[in-house]
Amino acid sequence: MTTNRSLIAARTVLAVALLVIGVAISTVLIRPASAGGRAHVIVAIGAENEYANVLSQIGGKYVSVSAILKNPNTDPHTFEASASVAEEVSKAQLIVQNGVGYDSFMNNIEAASPNSKRKIITVQDVLGLPTDAPNPHLWYKPTTMPAVAKVMAKDLDKLAPSHAAYFDANLKTFDASLKPWLTAIATFKAKYPHTPVAVTEPVVDYLLQAMGANVLTPFVFQADIMNGVDPAPEDITLEDNLFTKHKVKLFCYNQQVVDALTTSIRHAAESSHIPVVGVYETMPTPGYDYQTWMLAEVKAIESAVTTAKSTQKI
Amino acid sequence: MHYLFEPGFFSSSPVRVAFAIGAVSAIVSAIVGVFTVMRGQSFAGHALSDVATTGGSGAFFFNLSPLVGFLGAGVLGAGAMEAVGVQRLRGRDVATGIVLGFATGLAALFLYLDTTKSATTGVSQQILFGSIFTLDPSTIPLVVVMSVITLGVLAVIFRPLLLSSISPDLAAARGISVRVIGLLFMLALAVAVGLSSIAVGSLLSTALLIGPAATALRLTRNLRSALIVAGALGVAATWVGIILAYDSFYWFTSSQGLPVSFFIVALIFLGYLLSGLPAVRRRTSSPTAAAPTHSLERVAG
Repeated sequence: MTTNRSLIAARTVLAVALLVIGVAISTVLIRPASAGGRAHVIVAIGAENEYANVLSQIGGKYVSVSAILKNPNTDPHTFEASASVAEEVSKAQLIVQNGVGYDSFMNNIEAASPNSKRKIITVQDVLGLPTDAPNPHLWYKPTTMPAVAKVMAKDLDKLAPSHAAYFDANLKTFDASLKPWLTAIATFKAKYPHTPVAVTEPVVDYLLQAMGANVLTPFVFQADIMNGVDPAPEDITLEDNLFTKHKVKLFCYNQQVVDALTTSIRHAAESSHIPVVGVYETMPTPGYDYQTWMLAEVKAIESAVTTAKSTQKI
Repeated sequence: MHYLFEPGFFSSSPVRVAFAIGAVSAIVSAIVGVFTVMRGQSFAGHALSDVATTGGSGAFFFNLSPLVGFLGAGVLGAGAMEAVGVQRLRGRDVATGIVLGFATGLAALFLYLDTTKSATTGVSQQILFGSIFTLDPSTIPLVVVMSVITLGVLAVIFRPLLLSSISPDLAAARGISVRVIGLLFMLALAVAVGLSSIAVGSLLSTALLIGPAATALRLTRNLRSALIVAGALGVAATWVGIILAYDSFYWFTSSQGLPVSFFIVALIFLGYLLSGLPAVRRRTSSPTAAAPTHSLERVAG
């Protein structure tokens, strides 16, 4: 009985020891492979792929950027972070995140793996917005990305001072490349002021406001759709009437925040011959960078107003 | 300032769809519910709602209507439960708990896959708590057809079902196939759970199934009036719930309506509480305490 017990104990100790050795060896073997060779490159993360895209435009060859929210076919509002995301974030030296509760999972992961050297750019703070700002889709605001890109260049300068001139030159190139988009917005605003628009969800509201459009869909309804809760029947009827009574010139349809109700609203718009413009939370890839994506959205809205053309998917 | 029917109520198409689907599901649920309570199968109803959750969330993954998922999984679950033997199932509480836990876990997997593979906003809300104002009018035909079939089957097996509910031994002695009747009833129960899941969500479907039936059995002394009262209570709770949810839009300055499922379930609960008040009970119950079963035997005989 006693020998039996001590045998079990000995075996357990041996098994645990082997396990520990195994884990130690694999850690030693794996670590240099993933960290080595790229020592001079800054590891960075954009919580959303549009921020990751701009960050890689500013950082160029000295930055290796990955994005967390990058699938334009899913709803980012219902995203659940996985263990691999936590692993990626814990390694990053520079992080750009949206804030306003859009990517609060980032704050949790960052808190779980503290690193005093890591730099975090929260777009909400760059713009000086409160956490309860009703519309989190900040990257659609024309003033957002120039301000964020500036902070990105500044932080990159600090992380790699020897390449400061390179980052600053990239920043100038980026700012210049926004011109066609900003011009298109200004032109639309001058030519078609107060264009009445219906939406499902507030994703493009900032852009529509910049274009001088009137969003006639009640914000409470937009927020209900965004948050995936039941909208009031009054609002559903109101939204339907925007189409059947031809009160709007176009309908911006969020292709990522989709449910049975948004689909039936889209059908209502189509049967009333209101042009539909598909809009996105996440930058559609491949084929677009931030600037060309934003310009494509404005062009799609413009051709909906000028030629009543629908652009369901950009 | 405030009206019972706030402006636009009767012309609102979401309200009309909700009224139609709500009434049909409430009637089927209430009638099936009366037998469910009599047969002591409330637990089976709850188990089927867990299985329906799996089906509803899986339906999104395969691009089907949630109603198809609710009904499909419910019918499969009902068949499996009857094959195992529901009576024995109730005894095996550990195994049942683990199987139902697994079904709910599968639902969690499907909901995760739904939201990570495609844009399915509000899917958890719709499956678990219902979304009657956002139902597609094209679901009405399927709801009506399933209801008619279910009520038709119940009408055909009415007497044998009643007898085997009250006394399985007596029913078997009279040559009734208790097993077949039990299976048919489980299928009817699965449909009722599916329909009430579409109305108030799978988590709350048990309330619509059991609540009006239990209240009606407290208030009435024979089966026919219990069925009628249960159906009426179910429809009343659903319709008044819809009216209150519609009106709640005007209660707050923020123009934010409150969820309809809450109102429906709250009204059912309130009705059940009121029916238990001594004053109500004294007036309705007969000198013999076990009134319902007693009088039901008379109906059956």
